[in-house]
Amino acid sequence: MRPILLSGHERSLTQIKFNKDGDLIFSTSKDKVVCAWWSANGERLGTYSGHQGAVWTVDVSPNTVLLATGSADNTVRLWNIKTGECVKTWDFPTAVKRVAFSPDGSKLLAVTEKRMGFLGTIAVLDIAYGDGELNNLNVQAEEPSLRITCEDSKATVAGWSYMGKYIIAGHEDGSVSQYDPKTGDQLENVQAHEFDHQINDLQFSPDRTYFITASKDKSAKLISASNLAILKTYVADTPLNSASITAKKDYVILGGGQAAMDVTTTSARQGKFEARFYHKVFEDEIGRVRGHFGPLNTIDVHPAGTAYASGGEDGYVRIHHFDKPYFDFMYEVEREQLRK
Amino acid sequence: MSRLGNNADWADDDEYDDPSALPATQITENKDGTKTVVSYRFNDDNKKVKVTRRIKATVVREHVNPQVAERRSWAKFGLEKGHAPGPSFDTTSVGENMVFRPSTNWKAQAADAEKNPEQGSMKDQLKDKKVKCRICSGEHFTARCPFKDTMAPVEEPTGGADMGADEVGAAGGLGAGSSSYVPPHMRGKAGGAAGEKMGGRFEKDDLATLRVTNVSELAEEQELRDLFERFGRVTRVFLARDRETQRAKGFAFISYADRGDAARACEKMDGFGYRHLILRVEFAKRTT
Repeated sequence: MRPILLSGHERSLTQIKFNKDGDLIFSTSKDKVVCAWWSANGERLGTYSGHQGAVWTVDVSPNTVLLATGSADNTVRLWNIKTGECVKTWDFPTAVKRVAFSPDGSKLLAVTEKRMGFLGTIAVLDIAYGDGELNNLNVQAEEPSLRITCEDSKATVAGWSYMGKYIIAGHEDGSVSQYDPKTGDQLENVQAHEFDHQINDLQFSPDRTYFITASKDKSAKLISASNLAILKTYVADTPLNSASITAKKDYVILGGGQAAMDVTTTSARQGKFEARFYHKVFEDEIGRVRGHFGPLNTIDVHPAGTAYASGGEDGYVRIHHFDKPYFDFMYEVEREQLRK
Repeated sequence: MSRLGNNADWADDDEYDDPSALPATQITENKDGTKTVVSYRFNDDNKKVKVTRRIKATVVREHVNPQVAERRSWAKFGLEKGHAPGPSFDTTSVGENMVFRPSTNWKAQAADAEKNPEQGSMKDQLKDKKVKCRICSGEHFTARCPFKDTMAPVEEPTGGADMGADEVGAAGGLGAGSSSYVPPHMRGKAGGAAGEKMGGRFEKDDLATLRVTNVSELAEEQELRDLFERFGRVTRVFLARDRETQRAKGFAFISYADRGDAARACEKMDGFGYRHLILRVEFAKRTT
């Protein structure tokens, strides 16, 4: 396995996203630029510039036409993926920490920060795709169609469950909640992680019926989207920044490391800057991939499960295309099952 | 006379080479489908370097949906605008090759690979210890190994030679000191036939080994195994391959657990048509 190193960013990575076909990767970092890359060979397709602050988050529409980014300059921007033009800017009172398209691409949620007297909110924006020929992409709704205000604890991450039925949000206090995207009511709230340990990432399974959360409390949990039942727990020895569920094989990939501010006091060995692979069902750690010189901030898996990309505090993106031993690995019980 | 001072001799004229010029790149096609490219360049010390590369080109065809194919033709934009197609060196590089092998006891393996295991308590070190067979490295005891009758343990190529020496010493076959050297032909008298036959039972393997010739270049070990397994348990399949091209060389060895199976396979598979060629199967001759 030879990783491809992408060094297009000058500061630490904040989020990486594959598109639905897996041929493109989008990466955002604290330097104001968003990059698009070909996943197969690591060639840079282009950059999207216009943000005035650190870019916290990125998501790509299911048809790979529009790209949404949220930034510390208090805006959400919508880009034409093909040309790199900014087609729409929405202003918010505070920084935007997470954006996510609904499964059908018709809605976009944006998680805003709690700051300067404003409470944290989840705003839902309606997205239009012009005439289908990439024209009139700039015709978008001006105002969010829905605002959910998080009064107890601000949301840090959020996403859409299967068929856009619920909005699932992870909170600063370690709880996970479920909202109705039509009315904005909170349907359920579960203290999934230890109290006051922020949830740093939330990623869905391919069919979006369950999701994985990564938290500062050194664990990741697999949670059902319909009733927020905790299905599995993966325990690590370091605070986690990101977690992802792999397609094709039943693994999960966790990434983390000592928080950035403590890094200088620890050596690379102790820092535990590795991507950890766990078996999704048996909850065992089955391997690690090292390479980054800082904590892993973000991980995303190719939708077909053939590769994964990780972005670190060191400013690098590493794309790993899996090779044969990865696909061959099976537990003894799995092998027996296959023989029958 | 003044000509000679500054100009090169007329006789040298033809062979006079501009030292800054580089010979042209030569490309030769090899028999096995590879290409040899000889090119010249200057290195950092301004010395001429000849670079010989052997290249094997493999065309990988992949089918993608039309949208993906359409995206391949997109022009670059933003900071990459106007750049040539292909990855550029300032943003994209290839990292060192790494081995990623998922395993239930990866911790022990990682420690082995690094030769620098983190010093923990003995209990921690033994926690992930798994039973490992000395013959096939499977997760069972050596005595339970399905290959124990046919294969020698990896670490001990000659069966029980040291054990034989011990027994003789205890029996006091000769000399005063128990640690004195006992030549092999003397060992037999005391310890039975322990040291007599090298490898002993493991040689039985040879008797049930078939040599298969006229195998197609495109053959796979797994296919051969599938073909021959229907006659009995196959313990080993060896398909000779070309080192560079990885194509089969045209012969293979198949070892059976049982000689009777081997004989039946030899009879049935000789003349079998496999991948447009007719197999020739015979018992492998013992190498002496």
